[in-house]
Amino acid sequence: MPTASASPAIGAVALAKRYGTVTALSDLTLRVERGSIFGFLGANGAGKTTAVKMLLGLVRPTSGTAQVLGAPVGDREARRSIGYLPELFRYPEWLSAREVLAFHASLLGASGTQRARDIDRALAAVGLSPRADDRVATYSKGMQQRLGLGVALLGNPTLVVLDEPTSALDPLGRYDVRALLAGLRERGTTVFLNSHLLTEVELVCDRIAIVKSGRVIASGTREDILGEQRGLRIRAQADGASLHAALAPFGHLTEHSGVLVLPDVAHERTPEIVAALVAARARVYAVEPIVQTLEERFIDLASSP
Amino acid sequence: MITIAWMTVREMVRRRFAIAALLGTLVLVALTGWGLQHIHTIHKQHGHALSPLEIRAVTAALVPLIAYLFSFILAFAAIVLGATMLSAEIESGVLLPVLARPISRGAVVVGKALGLSALLCAYAAISGGLEFAVIDAVTGYQPPHPVAAIAALAALAIVMLCLTLAVASRLQTVATSIVAVAGFGVSWIVGIVASFGPVYHNETLLRIGVVSQLLLPSDALWRVAVYQLQPAVLVATFGLSGWPGPFFVLSPPPPAMLAWSAVWVVAVTAIAVRSFAARDV
Repeated sequence: MPTASASPAIGAVALAKRYGTVTALSDLTLRVERGSIFGFLGANGAGKTTAVKMLLGLVRPTSGTAQVLGAPVGDREARRSIGYLPELFRYPEWLSAREVLAFHASLLGASGTQRARDIDRALAAVGLSPRADDRVATYSKGMQQRLGLGVALLGNPTLVVLDEPTSALDPLGRYDVRALLAGLRERGTTVFLNSHLLTEVELVCDRIAIVKSGRVIASGTREDILGEQRGLRIRAQADGASLHAALAPFGHLTEHSGVLVLPDVAHERTPEIVAALVAARARVYAVEPIVQTLEERFIDLASSP
Repeated sequence: MITIAWMTVREMVRRRFAIAALLGTLVLVALTGWGLQHIHTIHKQHGHALSPLEIRAVTAALVPLIAYLFSFILAFAAIVLGATMLSAEIESGVLLPVLARPISRGAVVVGKALGLSALLCAYAAISGGLEFAVIDAVTGYQPPHPVAAIAALAALAIVMLCLTLAVASRLQTVATSIVAVAGFGVSWIVGIVASFGPVYHNETLLRIGVVSQLLLPSDALWRVAVYQLQPAVLVATFGLSGWPGPFFVLSPPPPAMLAWSAVWVVAVTAIAVRSFAARDV
């Protein structure tokens, strides 16, 4: 039997949630390794937030099982090591950021100078130190989201669950959050990042799962999800039909506005193709691989029946 | 639990609810004092002013009406605060990061119940103490058991708070408030109807009253409060002819009903805890 520390940060098997006849999540099976940043992608209404809430014990699964930090979901001791930023973040407006953090530190059972240090560190990490003693009511939405991140980071958690953590942030704020996540990874903290901002996920996540209609339809590293990248775009000139003849052995060839496209060829064959063009006395201006972005792959997967 | 209770008290103070309630109470107490002052201007048929004894008798008859005003404020404050502190915080998302912390749902419900109960008791004590002091200063009348009456009114507020929290553990803010207000109103009306039971020796009415008080003891506690405010001479005078209604109590609910009220508070809080623990947020 695996020990708590050897177990994955999150392990879920066939988790499902139904509200009457509506299925919010069906058959969610995933494994999040400790120390990694895991991106959980999906369109609005795909069941991402329901999944997050089930992993935190806020929503009870209709069926299936899950463990978080080696304990059953909702376990009180395990929750001591989890930081959470909800999608709908809202903090008492009559408190200052420092007081909100002090309240959460009390709920964690922290006290004394360590607690004060933790609060200062969390405030500094999210860039709220200069406004720490102002009331939350005077904060912009972005600042409230930063406060939410600070609350999630309090107490040096082993696992941080962030539900759309940059939805209210400007590009600079998003950059800060990416740096923050990189820092968490360096410290060995596991991050479960629930987002539909694909660039963000692509930039920071070690592994990704895509959920659609309450079911995981793809998971793995970015490369696993993108699959084998194929296709080349070629800009070259040659006399007569020698260009098409030189490229004919490499499969189906199309031409758009003077750019030749070999959609099915593997990227590894690029030197071979360049050699064939040179042998045909073609003037080669560019040979570039066609790369599918995570966004394009996500749209392919999400829109497929 | 203590952290949640303390935060609840702090919220009421910081959001100036407490100071607003006290200022409103000062206005109410001043108004009742001003109104009671007019008893001195009442003249009998022969043009004589009322004697001090007669002034005290009139005041004694009016005190339950004033107490009703405060019972109403306390009950509604309990309902509004209970619904706001649980239903509204779930709806707004304020409770989400709190519930993800290593505390039980029960600690959240009981912490809020304790914090709000402490505030309601403090309000009952301060407003009741002020009102009775003004009544005494203006009319020279002191009800026989003011502290017991205030305690009964505070208990009424706690009963309404527990009912509200139990409902709020499942329903949204508006629905919670409607259910709790309806419960309070129905209990009040049934109490009035049942008060005709002893006058007409109607067992059915008496039983309806008891069942209603067992289901929601707010009316029983109100009747305890009224009884503690009535001078013995008033009971002796009007008790023989009977005086049904909410403002005169010939005999208070038995001690067993008080014990039941305590059990009811614990049981309904337990239901609130269990219900909140089982719900998705």
